[in-house]
Amino acid sequence: MKTIKASGIGKPIDRIEGRLKVTGMAKYATEFPVENKVYAQAVNSTIAKGEIVSIDTSEAEKAAGVLAVLTHKNAEKLKAFEEEMPELGTTTIAPVLQSNKVHYYGEYVGLVVAETFEQATYAAKLVKVKYKEETPDIHLDKSRAKAYKPTESSDFSRGDMDAGMAAADQTLEATYNTPIEHHHPMELHAVIASWNNGKVLAYTSQQMVDNSTIVISDTFQIPKKDVRVVAAFVGGGFGSKLNTDRHVILALMASKKLGKPVQLTVTRNQMFTNTGMRQHNEQNMRIGAKKDGTLTALSHETLSHTSTFQEYQEPCGNVSKMLYKVPNNLIKHRLIPLNFQTPCSMRAPGEATGSFALESAMDEMAWKLKMDPIDFRIKNDTQIDLSEERPFSSRLLIECLRIGAEKFGWKERKMEPRTNTNGNWLIGYGVSAASREAPYKKTSSKVIISLEEGKAIATIQMDATDIGTGSYTIIAQTASEYLGIPTEDVTVELGDSNYPVTPGSGGSWGAASYCNGARAACENAIAELKRKKNIPEGEEIALADLLKQNDLTKFEAEGTAEPSEEFEKYSVFSFGANFSEVWVDKDTGMSRIKRMVNVGSAGKILNPKTAYGQIIGGLTMGVGMALTEQTKIEPNFGNFITRSFADYHAPVNLDMANVEVIFLPEEDKIANKMGVKGIGELGITSVAASIANAIFNATGKRMRDLPITPEKLIMAKLEPGVES
Amino acid sequence: MTEMEVWNNKRELGNLSEDERKIFDQLGLNESSRRKFLKGISATSLSVWAATYFPPEVFASAAAALPDNPIKLVNEVKVNLRINESVKSLNLDSRTTLLDALRERLALTGTKKGCDHGQCGACTVLVDGKRKLSCLTLAASCEGKEITTIEGLAENGELHAIQKAFLEHDGFQCGYCTPGQICSSVALLEEAKRGEASYVTDDLREITKDLTLSEEEIRERMSGNICRCGAYNNIVQAFKEVHSSDDEMPTWEFATPEQMENAKSS
Repeated sequence: MKTIKASGIGKPIDRIEGRLKVTGMAKYATEFPVENKVYAQAVNSTIAKGEIVSIDTSEAEKAAGVLAVLTHKNAEKLKAFEEEMPELGTTTIAPVLQSNKVHYYGEYVGLVVAETFEQATYAAKLVKVKYKEETPDIHLDKSRAKAYKPTESSDFSRGDMDAGMAAADQTLEATYNTPIEHHHPMELHAVIASWNNGKVLAYTSQQMVDNSTIVISDTFQIPKKDVRVVAAFVGGGFGSKLNTDRHVILALMASKKLGKPVQLTVTRNQMFTNTGMRQHNEQNMRIGAKKDGTLTALSHETLSHTSTFQEYQEPCGNVSKMLYKVPNNLIKHRLIPLNFQTPCSMRAPGEATGSFALESAMDEMAWKLKMDPIDFRIKNDTQIDLSEERPFSSRLLIECLRIGAEKFGWKERKMEPRTNTNGNWLIGYGVSAASREAPYKKTSSKVIISLEEGKAIATIQMDATDIGTGSYTIIAQTASEYLGIPTEDVTVELGDSNYPVTPGSGGSWGAASYCNGARAACENAIAELKRKKNIPEGEEIALADLLKQNDLTKFEAEGTAEPSEEFEKYSVFSFGANFSEVWVDKDTGMSRIKRMVNVGSAGKILNPKTAYGQIIGGLTMGVGMALTEQTKIEPNFGNFITRSFADYHAPVNLDMANVEVIFLPEEDKIANKMGVKGIGELGITSVAASIANAIFNATGKRMRDLPITPEKLIMAKLEPGVES
Repeated sequence: MTEMEVWNNKRELGNLSEDERKIFDQLGLNESSRRKFLKGISATSLSVWAATYFPPEVFASAAAALPDNPIKLVNEVKVNLRINESVKSLNLDSRTTLLDALRERLALTGTKKGCDHGQCGACTVLVDGKRKLSCLTLAASCEGKEITTIEGLAENGELHAIQKAFLEHDGFQCGYCTPGQICSSVALLEEAKRGEASYVTDDLREITKDLTLSEEEIRERMSGNICRCGAYNNIVQAFKEVHSSDDEMPTWEFATPEQMENAKSS
């Protein structure tokens, strides 16, 4: 990959903050120099359901350096939930230590604050808690009777599912399971919390800065203007840092009590129980099709779990509403309250898991029809989003599939499983289609332009975050483009709630929203400077000359971008296709990814280098989902027995293979003025299905429960009709 | 005058001390880019960045933020740590890991805390030239050893070849695992020169010095450093460029108009 030092959008420039990152200078949450800070360590429950009978903190309090121990007995009263089972959102309050009730294993039951990290860590182990234990609900399977429909929009139907199945020549019913997964960004959730005369300053690792100030102000019932949140660099999020979790509130409670800044780092072990997760989904699929491959019916029913006190629903079935042209369609989502923490969004919530079920089922149906799985998908393509009855702003799924097939060498694929071998290896090719909604949200920013030695330089400020997504770089490129100055002369300042409000990073809306927000500020600045001097709008004039003509050395402007009315008339999605070659050892069941091809159609690519990073990152997490990642529940006590990176297997370097990524040249001007669509979640979508489908093509075994580990693969039986 | 105002005055007048000049040189910032750099950072961010850029000797408020001797240390030990070619004398709780000493006592926060269990590699530093997990290393055991952290890899303002390659090949996203990945890569260059074997080495009897590592060998040997953002392919590319001047690996391309035309939905 050659480095090109150039300006403007579309160029693969190096990340502008890259130098700070490769020299260790980029500042993450607990790396800000804060004077007189002290250290906290949280204490977790060791039962999954019940009540705290007593807490003995005396020994911990006597330990060297300990300043305070917080429990439900001495914690201040925080705002409580106003309703039963409130929905979890990114502005939802996070009350903690408010009662003696325990809802899940690992719930926070105390906090120890000491002079040093070592002292706090040691003393936290000295807190003695006695419980009255109750039998927890921890099994999805045994609690089916408690399943409920969370909201009206949890269900959807069009046509008549039964009639569609009856009209089919070939039918399929299959159930797919995806396990509990954890986000595990490399930077542990952490905060330096400072409560100073009613004013809060929190250096904290969050994806959404403004929403974080809302959570803090609501939970403590203080004015939002008194809360400042700083997240200059965020060491990964993947959804887990969308919500402001209870450790932030704990640290602030302690800071308020002690009058000192408190640093609290959630341990990797606590990251399993206290900072969100993707829940187990059981997805039942039914498909009906005519002999020629025309879909007649498709249903997608999902059973998941939420916590016993808050509701989160992953919309797994949404992808099955809109991806294919099928007249009869049924979508259902049901939840069971279990004694685990509340799940939350994890990279491509709905699509990542839903596409595993849908795209596996499509492959199964193609096999039954003896049709090529690409032809089967193309046969059922639609340019209309049937669930919304409106057109897609752009949809190049067929192009993604065909161009990818050519690049990958799909025509070499053998239709019959177990026929492509190399020694002990069974070789399989798999394909899957991907779609991910490309939202766009109201975003504001400020531009400060100044004249320095005759040259115009600019600073963009917004409360956006860069969680590894490349925000700093693409915002600088945008300012460069719309101000007509080199990227090198643009400074970008992000992640501070003092800056103009953005929707934050999540839901694949970051790139489109941030860049259009920055564009609006730059355009306003230029327009205002021209207007003052009666310069016609269309006249080209260098920014420096514009400032000089105005006799200005400094000028500021703000701007806000938001979706147009046109946007609301369309369904706006990014599309893609995944191709995988997987080798399976026929004796050990070990799988190796040999190569992958990903094709993406995601509007204007602002910077192919950072966009490539987003795609390969999604693919890597997709590989983890398919082959290695799962959080296992201890069946008696409800704790997680995968408690560290030694037993929760995030993919490592050797797990990955070469990846070729093809971007389709596209600008979606309906999506927004810059034609940009999201790409951060498209990359993970349907990856697991392409791998599972490749494994079927290699082995003749349908692997419907993720992850596809060697022991499962060895135990699985050949699919009927496959020759051994 | 606040600390910040003093700095603003200094930077505008350009009268930095020798030490301060040296620090900017180490960051690779020459006169003009130095000015731009300083201009480019706001009051809050300067104080934020300054703490790592400037060791306590030259940056007073950072020194104040790092109490030399917190009260009531248990099993206090005095340790002289030689880090990035300068000696730091610390009174530490004997339980303090090298990682926490670096981050919490010396404001060398480039070394990252990712798991505290030696399972993620984010805390990798070089001790006597070899990669070491600083979260599993007690600071007190490092007396007399030469410690190099990410902050000490650049020389005279020139980034280490591995740092440059990571930057050019986008060998990171969020940047949190990056210092560990880079320290591992730097050590791996030497491991290859010494001819050390790995799990995927075909024949241990055949191994020689000055190994040219295959892609699989690089992937295996870098598997102790988790990158959850998934920048592995770019990391391998960055390493290959420095190790064997070979950085030809598939990356991204745009579909051509001809490809688009041929693939059109019929």
